Amino acid sequence: MVEKRLTKREGVSTILDIRVQELEVWYGPAKALENVSLHLEQGAVLALIGPSGCGKSTFLRVLNRMIDQVPTVRVKGSVHIGAFNVLDDDIDVTALRRTVGMVFQQPNPFPMTIFDNVAYGPRLAGVRSATKLRQIVEDSLKKSALWDEVRGKLRRSAMTLSGGQQQRLCMARALAVHPHVLLLDEPTASLDPVSTAKIEELIVQFKGRYTMVIVTHNLQQAARVSDLVAFFEQGHLVEMGPTHDIFTAPQERRTEEFLTGRFE
Amino acid sequence: MNEQPLNLKRLHPTRHGRTAHGLLAALAIVALLLLLSVLLPLVWEALPALTAPFLWGKGQGAIGPEVLNTLSLVGGSELLSFPLALLVGLYRVEWVKSQGPLLRVFDQFATTMLSVPSIVIGLVVVDVAIARWHWPVSTMTGIVALALMNWPLSVAYVVEALQQIPGRYREGSWALGASRWQTVRYLILPLAWPQMVEQAGLATARLMGETAVLIYTAGVNAAVHWSLWGPGESLAVHLWLLRTEGVGQNAQAQAAATGVVLLAFVVLVLWGSKRMAQWLKNA
Repeated sequence: MVEKRLTKREGVSTILDIRVQELEVWYGPAKALENVSLHLEQGAVLALIGPSGCGKSTFLRVLNRMIDQVPTVRVKGSVHIGAFNVLDDDIDVTALRRTVGMVFQQPNPFPMTIFDNVAYGPRLAGVRSATKLRQIVEDSLKKSALWDEVRGKLRRSAMTLSGGQQQRLCMARALAVHPHVLLLDEPTASLDPVSTAKIEELIVQFKGRYTMVIVTHNLQQAARVSDLVAFFEQGHLVEMGPTHDIFTAPQERRTEEFLTGRFE
Repeated sequence: MNEQPLNLKRLHPTRHGRTAHGLLAALAIVALLLLLSVLLPLVWEALPALTAPFLWGKGQGAIGPEVLNTLSLVGGSELLSFPLALLVGLYRVEWVKSQGPLLRVFDQFATTMLSVPSIVIGLVVVDVAIARWHWPVSTMTGIVALALMNWPLSVAYVVEALQQIPGRYREGSWALGASRWQTVRYLILPLAWPQMVEQAGLATARLMGETAVLIYTAGVNAAVHWSLWGPGESLAVHLWLLRTEGVGQNAQAQAAATGVVLLAFVVLVLWGSKRMAQWLKNA
């Protein structure tokens, strides 16, 4: 049932690859990204690595226009996700964000019931039928591997869940609006190793179904879950390539220094 | 700094804890006794005057009209000021993105308004509403004055309640495609209501005891009537008047009784707002 819906939607929708050309971002006078161009194919997992403040999160937040929340930000260049011209002023940001879901570093479930958390997005989208909502909630929780732990407890507050469960709930919440792209901003940074493993498992499972971009400070994690790795430094995209190639034979000296810990 | 090495033999956590507990409990008891020392004589003094005809009769000295005036003054001013404060607060917290100079000016202005003495607001209302627009000294004028007084405080607690909601909730909502308005409507307001209602209760209780601003605007007369344009003496003003100018053998007892009634209303409002906040929290 779930599979069917997904393929049906994919049939209807255009290709959801991500094309970024000459992207530049300023925060006030400070340049956060400079001349970033990359292409990510549909269903692939891209890991963004690099030192703190190198522009990884900025790049991620451009993709679903969450960057708009920063008062002094200016963005130049072109970003296309499928048919969306992301940087277009007239773009329907709501539609974009439904297509491009996001999971944050700190699990941020809303202080309401587990059910209401997952149903939040669909309700905003106008789904009123209780049966339909239940179905979406169940589907989403199953996809994020949380269903077995919370079935029968859907009316409990999401705040009663553990950190790892909360993060998977946030995954479910993002999946409930049927996105095609998932942005993961250090999704395991605040989790214990077991919870981290579960999230990584999900990412691997989602390969091919969702195009994913994950920011991570954990290089092993990038190696484990991603198809492609992009190394950022001081707002520049230094190098991008297949994960295996980047980790075994990086082309750039800076990348190698970063990967081997000789980075200053 | 000469740091003493930690001497475990000189640490007495249990004993220190008990001493601190005892000290704080003693302070609390002292405070309670002080409160009772004011309250009990007041109630004692009020008892002879607390009769049914005094509370809801129409005769000489009955405070029925004052009760009604107090309720309409306080209710009316909250109806006027709270929605306005909510709009301002929402705009200030949820819509304004920049941290620019305009915002600082606004915050400064709001703080200044908070510290304007109520009597100044009363004089402004007298000057504008009564002297220029020829409004009568009435409940309505009092409502406007109280609303003006209450408004900055309401803005302050609305802003505080909204700012206490972590930004990551908003981010989560926006990332799901919610607009600012939807986020406010379905996420922020439901979370902020309990605190706002509780604070509104506190503000209302404060308004009930307000006198200075009302003496000139709502007046010191009361009559049995249902019009907002009639004389609008409130309980607190009545109390003040009886205590300062009351004549007749019963005046002081009546003042005390008025005070007790006023106190009862204040307690009722505080308790009610707390219960409502609790109910909203669990809803």
